[in-house]
Amino acid sequence: MNILAAYGLLAHAVIFGALATLIPLGELRARVALSASTLALLVGIAPGMHAYFGTPSLTLLALAVIQLADKTPSPLTYRPALGLLAFALPFYATALGLGTFDPYALGYQPALLLGVLLPLGLALWWKRQDAWLAILAIDLAGYASGVFGNLWDVLFDPLLVMLALIVVGRQQVVRLIASRTR
Amino acid sequence: MPFPRPLLLVLFVAALGAAFWRAPAPAPTGFTPPAKALAALPASFVGEMLWRDTSAVATAPSLSELPDGRIAAVWLAGTDDAMTVRLNVRDRDGWRQPLQIASRESTAGGTFARIGQLASPVIYAEGSWLHLWYGSSALGDSINHSVSTDGGKTWTQPARLTTSPFANFGGQLRSPPLPLADGGLGLSIGHDFIGRHGEWLRLSATGRIIDKRRLSGTGGSAHPTSAVLDEQRAVTVLTAADAMPAPIRIATTADAGAHWQATEAPAITTPATPLAVLRLGSGRLLLAGNPATGRQSLLLWLSADEGKTWREARTVDTAADGGADYTHPALLLGRDGRIHLAYAWRQQGIKYVAFSEAWLDGGQP
Repeated sequence: MNILAAYGLLAHAVIFGALATLIPLGELRARVALSASTLALLVGIAPGMHAYFGTPSLTLLALAVIQLADKTPSPLTYRPALGLLAFALPFYATALGLGTFDPYALGYQPALLLGVLLPLGLALWWKRQDAWLAILAIDLAGYASGVFGNLWDVLFDPLLVMLALIVVGRQQVVRLIASRTR
Repeated sequence: MPFPRPLLLVLFVAALGAAFWRAPAPAPTGFTPPAKALAALPASFVGEMLWRDTSAVATAPSLSELPDGRIAAVWLAGTDDAMTVRLNVRDRDGWRQPLQIASRESTAGGTFARIGQLASPVIYAEGSWLHLWYGSSALGDSINHSVSTDGGKTWTQPARLTTSPFANFGGQLRSPPLPLADGGLGLSIGHDFIGRHGEWLRLSATGRIIDKRRLSGTGGSAHPTSAVLDEQRAVTVLTAADAMPAPIRIATTADAGAHWQATEAPAITTPATPLAVLRLGSGRLLLAGNPATGRQSLLLWLSADEGKTWREARTVDTAADGGADYTHPALLLGRDGRIHLAYAWRQQGIKYVAFSEAWLDGGQP
């Protein structure tokens, strides 16, 4: 069995369950999450998400698990989401063919990228961003497992970027409404 | 209970160290050029239908020579919305009954993802292993890899090659891989999202992608096909996808695929259909494809100067009727020096021809 493919399918089921918990259902929350994850596997939603979005990153899976656990607020707040968008949008544009430089190729032999992640991890620790530091450690451990072939694939993915876009967009809409009602 | 912060930092550093340990750092490698043929063969040409079914569409053949000298072919066949990958082997008595070796269902079962359609397959024999790569589409195009160790009877579950960060957009394969000196393989693929260009994948001996390079100066091009010139040099021929008739474009490497440069384009135009290139025993390059006049003819061109200039050598097939359509050539140089060619014949079947280099030079069988 292909471990990466199995991971992708199951992770999408978990992510779909986490998305379902965004609906305010009160005490039914846990049951809805479980039902949504099961449904995603049974009726082809998870294979569809796997086909259209590709393998989800470990970052997205970790955020989904945090959402499901409902213990702490999601670390994907406005500023991290904006930072991810600012990085990911030019990344995707160049990796998909704009210009001559392909940043995605760096992820196949990622010694340079890993060198950059060391100061990033230290900065997260210094700034007491423990949730993000833990997610980054999980990402790196996932890459070290050998299941993923490209370091970028454990760090972020199109669905995560789409969620970041929604977080940023929602905040902008709230600000716009607040400025008009003032 | 809150997690101790120093322990979190230790875990991060440990994970980073493990990732450094896992990250591949392959040494520069070289190509493995094909062995030179022992002696020039007399002029010869044979042709036969490999497969034909008027009720189905057949396209995109690929050829490889098995360790025992038999020729294996794969191609796509079926109805438009349910194409499957078929395999056939030619022994002394001719082509046998084809086997279906991949379908939408088998691919979905292996990749745990919904599959739209299958795309071009490529077969490659490496010792007792048979590699199969083939495309599949959902939102974008993916390349799947499967292996057989029993001559094609059974295959491993396909695994997707992740060539792109965005839903596997871009990843079209037509050309057989080039063997590398470190036991790995090099694959030229086409990328067709946002920008169209050729790309080079370096695979490890276990089939894992360990490097990817963009073919510089090939913007707006598709259908890359590659041939080895020597231990360090190779040439990739592409079709322009942004012009009609489409001129061909050439990219070369002098460091076994680590860097690619576009060179001056030769004066050949095509209807933007796939091409196939092969280095012959004499060192010349052979190119198969359609002329600018259309898909009703399949031509062979020869180059004696590593792709800078080409001359028309032979017409393999041509007809003027409305059903004439000869595309998707696949070339193979046999270990005995014979040249094998398969191509999609009138969209109804796959035609196979085998000939010698002397026939290309005008000799009569």
